[in-house]
Amino acid sequence: MSVLSRSGLPLDHDDARRAAQGVLDFPGSEGVEVVVSASSSGITRYANSQIIQNTVRNEIRATVRVVTGDRSASATTTQLDEEHLVMAAGRALEAAKASLPDPDFPGLPTPGDVGRPEPVMRVDEATGATPPAARAEAVGRILAATGSDNTAGIYETGVHSYGVFSSAGIDCFDAFSRCNTTCLVDLGGATGWGEASSYAAAEVDEEAAALRARRKAERSHNAMDVDSGTYQVVLEPPAVAALVDYLAYMGFGAKQMIEGESFFSTRRGEKVAADSITITDDVRHPASVGIGFDFEGVPKQRVAVIDGGEATHPVTDLRTARKLGVPATGHFSGSNEFGPYPFNVVMEAGDTELDELIGGVDDGILVTRFHYVNILDRPATLLTGMTRDGTFRISKGEVAEPVHNFRFAQSVLDALSSVQAVGREVVSIAPDYSSFGSTVAPALRVGKFHFASTTSH
Amino acid sequence: MKDLLREALDAALGAGATYADARGGEYLSEALSVRGPTVESLDRTESIGFGVRVLAEGAWGFASSAVLTSDEAKHLGATAVEVAKASATAINERVELVPEPVHVAEWSSPVVRDPFDIPLEDKVSLLAGATESMERNEAVRVGRGTMDFIRQRTAFLSSEGSDITQTVVHSGAGIEATSVRDGEVQTRSYPGSFRGHFAAAGYELVESMDLAGHADRIADEAVALLSAPECPSTVTTVVLDGHQVMLQVHESVGHPTELDRVLGMEAAFAGTSFVGIPDLNGLRYGSDRMNITADATIPGGLGSYAFDDEGVEGQRVDLVKEGILVGFQSSRETAARMGADRSNGTMRAEGWEHFPLIRMTNINLLPGEGSLEDLLADVDDGIYMSTNKSWSIDDKRKNFQFGCEIAWEIKNGKLGRMLKDPRYTGITPVFWGGLDAVAGKDEWQVWGTPNCGKGQPGQTMRVGHGTAPARFRNVSTGTAQ
Repeated sequence: MSVLSRSGLPLDHDDARRAAQGVLDFPGSEGVEVVVSASSSGITRYANSQIIQNTVRNEIRATVRVVTGDRSASATTTQLDEEHLVMAAGRALEAAKASLPDPDFPGLPTPGDVGRPEPVMRVDEATGATPPAARAEAVGRILAATGSDNTAGIYETGVHSYGVFSSAGIDCFDAFSRCNTTCLVDLGGATGWGEASSYAAAEVDEEAAALRARRKAERSHNAMDVDSGTYQVVLEPPAVAALVDYLAYMGFGAKQMIEGESFFSTRRGEKVAADSITITDDVRHPASVGIGFDFEGVPKQRVAVIDGGEATHPVTDLRTARKLGVPATGHFSGSNEFGPYPFNVVMEAGDTELDELIGGVDDGILVTRFHYVNILDRPATLLTGMTRDGTFRISKGEVAEPVHNFRFAQSVLDALSSVQAVGREVVSIAPDYSSFGSTVAPALRVGKFHFASTTSH
Repeated sequence: MKDLLREALDAALGAGATYADARGGEYLSEALSVRGPTVESLDRTESIGFGVRVLAEGAWGFASSAVLTSDEAKHLGATAVEVAKASATAINERVELVPEPVHVAEWSSPVVRDPFDIPLEDKVSLLAGATESMERNEAVRVGRGTMDFIRQRTAFLSSEGSDITQTVVHSGAGIEATSVRDGEVQTRSYPGSFRGHFAAAGYELVESMDLAGHADRIADEAVALLSAPECPSTVTTVVLDGHQVMLQVHESVGHPTELDRVLGMEAAFAGTSFVGIPDLNGLRYGSDRMNITADATIPGGLGSYAFDDEGVEGQRVDLVKEGILVGFQSSRETAARMGADRSNGTMRAEGWEHFPLIRMTNINLLPGEGSLEDLLADVDDGIYMSTNKSWSIDDKRKNFQFGCEIAWEIKNGKLGRMLKDPRYTGITPVFWGGLDAVAGKDEWQVWGTPNCGKGQPGQTMRVGHGTAPARFRNVSTGTAQ
């Protein structure tokens, strides 16, 4: 079972270009841009220690943006033949004409303006071609490793192609593969969590993730009630990634800064985190999974958004870069409504092993991961959410008894300002809701982290 | 499309499927965002494709594609069986389905004015009238308006003989004003937050909203919030408007009564539930004023349809009756697992490329009596909160914290000062136990939530909630810091 071309991709550069070229000189337009994406993926879900859903998807999508004067609009189709692309271009042109004057429209970029991106091409052909039987075998290994009758998670493989082509000369193509697995072990209400992700299935040790989940579940029996309050905490990488993802969503984009909703609006150039904290958007980091340009075809720059604790630069697209009078960093999200977005956030590693992070805590809490995080105050970076699947007391530098889960209410930047040590190992975390992007995070020891209430499990 | 679906079914059965269904879809959507005098984005999307779901050797397989050819249909049918046979290597319980009558039917949701026939210029003009009005208030940083329209035509064939065609049109619109001062941001929206209000209706829904007529008010409120005192941290009586009751029902009743969550099938991602099958007809979920239905049959809701995505008839079922848990939302598979005779028809997929999941239909808090004023009149000292702003709840749907855009003090039965950043926390059955009044039919409205996320790969579903303002006693407000 495979729809992959000889290149090992669901769509290669030549095919994508050929499809786009049919509408780049669409009559009546003054500029046309086509973003083509294709993916071939499979996801095997298991729960109650058996496979419950198992899907294979082959998808193609082309978004045609048409420009007339200072107005533009886009139309998307899942059919890559010329007839449907021409219809999409027609719908986009009709919409652009119905639009209003847009004095901030930067126009379509040219390679002369923005340069030509180098593809990342982090593609492992074997991962992209993984058959359903191999995914099922991986799940079988996970279930054997946990030895539990209540294990749940996913094992996912896929390969994804992206191309941007325009009448202004943009012609770029990139691709990535990904393997992602998660594992929750429930031993009668005592739960534990493990996960692993990489561009290559061979680098994903699903059994190790399963064993981590099993060990955490075993240690979670007879959880105790602990008072809510402010604690010294050690956050494992999935928990750090959740906070960093929300921090990026709340404030790393230039549009949020311009509209006054980001911490950058009032704190740019200030110290917002401990010296040990550097957060970049860096698709070329060895643990990142993504493409080397944005959805306008602008090469993606490495941006140190928080550098040694200082809020330095938000990420930009052409529109916001023009407003700010700076070069675009190549982070157009594909939506003018949302603006630029960092899809490949990396918190740089430190030099402390996890045991040492824990060893430095006299009385605190170890958090495996968070659940259902949401925003309370965007400029203040105030979030709430729950702990989940492995929350423990740390006593005199050792992991002690399990505790009932907490609800936290915490400013991310306040937490990052109290970071005492950064983990040596960084982990790549796949996004929950999309096949696009990644977050790379280490563990952290945080001096002050506020838990507002507890729950009964 | 149906010819392709038949070929896919035949291929699946030929490859060894014991059950198969094929679902094709043509989805057309339009999303418009206007900020001040400028169109921020205008996107039109068509999505066409089909998927095949099969049972083979007692396990599920699913394959989907956008390639609309006979060869691809045959390939998909065979692939879905290959996937199912792979699944069968790691099951400990064969999937069984409760019976469902064979349905041959066509159905369309009611539409007065097809939104795709309305000139774009009219839509842009309507929104710009409101957004420019909001931004004329100099203290408003952003005035934004949105419209969204979706038309989905789906065809469903099953190996049992069902042959169903449905067309559903959903429309939505809303405006929001954002004010900023000294690093503080406040937002007011109308008729609801997160892109407004949605329903299974046509453009007549948008016209009925009078967006421009509410623009000045919400702009003024967004600015006034900057100077308002904070909502206090206390334990008090809280009256929620219908929009926030919608969110409360969605998170703390809708999700916990999804039978796949109850059975642990969503444990690793969305979570499970604090209720179990043994709790049925015994657990006290809330006060005796609490009556909740799952109802796909009411007109106009985002969860209104004739048949779900596994060909089961849409139904009205009780979930909570006079405070007691009496039902779950189910599928053919989960109904069999709990020993029920029939699924209550809640399986839906975001698109043709997705495996259907149990999704809320219209989960409704049935109306009580009287008006909002009557609810307020019986409060000496309390807080009235309006329009959902934030939400978070634990993996068993028990410990929650929700926030609203705006609140007012209630003093001696009347609204007093405006309060900003209102939030409240609770434990689900304790909170619902404090329900002592729901406003009557005149205040009851079916709200639409267009962004309910669930499943892996993630699916976003549009669901409905009929609610009226409601009063809760002994609620913890504010954020413990």
